[in-house]
Amino acid sequence: MVRKYFAWALDTSKASHLRVLGEVPLFKGMGENLLRKLLVDLVEKEYEPGEVIFHEGDRGKAVYVVLDGLVKISKRSNAGDRTLAVLGPGTHFGELALINQCARFATAAAERQSLALIMYKSYFDDLIRGNSAISSKILLNLAEILSNYIYSNQPETAETQTSS
Amino acid sequence: MTQERDRERPSFTDLRKLHHQMPRWVLLVLLAGVAAFVAGHIVHLLITLLIAAVIAYILSSAVAAIERLGIKRSVAVTQLFVLAAAFVVSTHLLFSPYLQREVRRGYARLPEFSKQIEATLLSSAEDSLEKYPLLGQGIRKVVDALIGPDGFFETTLDGSRLLTQATPFVMGFILVPFFIFFLLRDWPRFLKVLMDQVPPSYVETTLSVVAEMNILIGKYLRGLAGECFSVGVLASLGLWLIGLNNPISLGILSGLANVIPYLGPVIACSVACLIALMQFNSFDAVLNVVLLYVCIKLVDDLFLQPLLIGKSVELHPMLLVITIIIGENLFGIIGMILGVPVVTAAQKTAGILLEHRREAANRGSTRGPAVRHRLPRVPVRPI
Repeated sequence: MVRKYFAWALDTSKASHLRVLGEVPLFKGMGENLLRKLLVDLVEKEYEPGEVIFHEGDRGKAVYVVLDGLVKISKRSNAGDRTLAVLGPGTHFGELALINQCARFATAAAERQSLALIMYKSYFDDLIRGNSAISSKILLNLAEILSNYIYSNQPETAETQTSS
Repeated sequence: MTQERDRERPSFTDLRKLHHQMPRWVLLVLLAGVAAFVAGHIVHLLITLLIAAVIAYILSSAVAAIERLGIKRSVAVTQLFVLAAAFVVSTHLLFSPYLQREVRRGYARLPEFSKQIEATLLSSAEDSLEKYPLLGQGIRKVVDALIGPDGFFETTLDGSRLLTQATPFVMGFILVPFFIFFLLRDWPRFLKVLMDQVPPSYVETTLSVVAEMNILIGKYLRGLAGECFSVGVLASLGLWLIGLNNPISLGILSGLANVIPYLGPVIACSVACLIALMQFNSFDAVLNVVLLYVCIKLVDDLFLQPLLIGKSVELHPMLLVITIIIGENLFGIIGMILGVPVVTAAQKTAGILLEHRREAANRGSTRGPAVRHRLPRVPVRPI
């Protein structure tokens, strides 16, 4: 009823952003209200094809969400640059910056014209202090992502330990 | 002959060479000089913009809170303006009759006060002139500054001068809300334009600067507002206990003046002393007022500032005083108030940019992994 009469005052311009954010593994399980709260303080940036978003070895200070376009994650090795993944809309990268500002493991570059949302570390720290509903969900999702990664690499780690 | 003269005249190439040879700091000093010169010529506009920016900043968190409910930013800003207007009107209706009475009474008694001050000060000057000639001369100078031709009272009571001085204030009253509205409404758009102009390698550093400024200025302004309110309440209470007239107006003045570091409390104390002298005609009352302001300053320094502002502004006392003087010279009282947070912000920004530069230099020298990693399987290794 209220929505019907006050539809003119509601912000519908960010509906597509909200839809994409809902698909991001880091924000899994967050309802539209929480996502909208999160979206207000995120910064948008467009990248031209080939533009490097961050370099391997840079100190990580922000996490990125791909809203549009493609982003290539590559790692430098002796044999040259190796592509680890190409990320499309609804994915995120650079999430370790939320835990500590360690050096980036790989380089991220726009494969084609891309639009990204950026969440800066100190904004996330503010969320931890001020909005536990959002920050606890993000932290749980982050823990799940890390544990999945560790679990998927478990046999390899075991092999390495046995051989050494 | 002509060739020799041509050789003596500096060519464009020579100027370019000079530019390359000149240290970068000389260029920065020159640029700062030009900026200060331009700022000096559009000072009223800059002050208006600065006031609008500070108020917009204070209101921005309220706009963001409304926006988080899913309401359009322009509607949120309009809502806030309507609420602010309602608040101003209701405050005006509640308090203005009392304040107006206090101000009108004080203004009507200004000529009488000036005569009283003249009599009190002159008699004390005559007394002390014999005993302490230097003190007597000092008091005579104060009397001239207050009552003499072009003195404080004459300029304050001069209607035509009042009108000339009031013009920028009237312009400010119209322009400040105008600027606030558009600064609040279009801030995300300004930020987006800024971020799109920033080279990708500087994005995180720029965000870092914006976030640090946000934390610093927010903490400083909120703390300052709390500190001024507390000082205002303490001053009002103390002056009321002493029995001075207009304790609320003086309390408000004390709270507002407190935003100027060091000088603000001195100004408020001087005004209260003057009123005490006029009301009681004795230096005992003045001494009481001075003691009250010393106590308030101690409470402020020992409890209020550490509690409310904390260590958000960490300027060396010498740099702080220089900042206040330069601020006053460039932008008057507003420059004194905003100089400290602006210089602190500049200091912090310089620190972040230097850190970025150091990181970039390190990256250049140690590009490539120090430890070789195994290529991870799905899912992709978190970065």
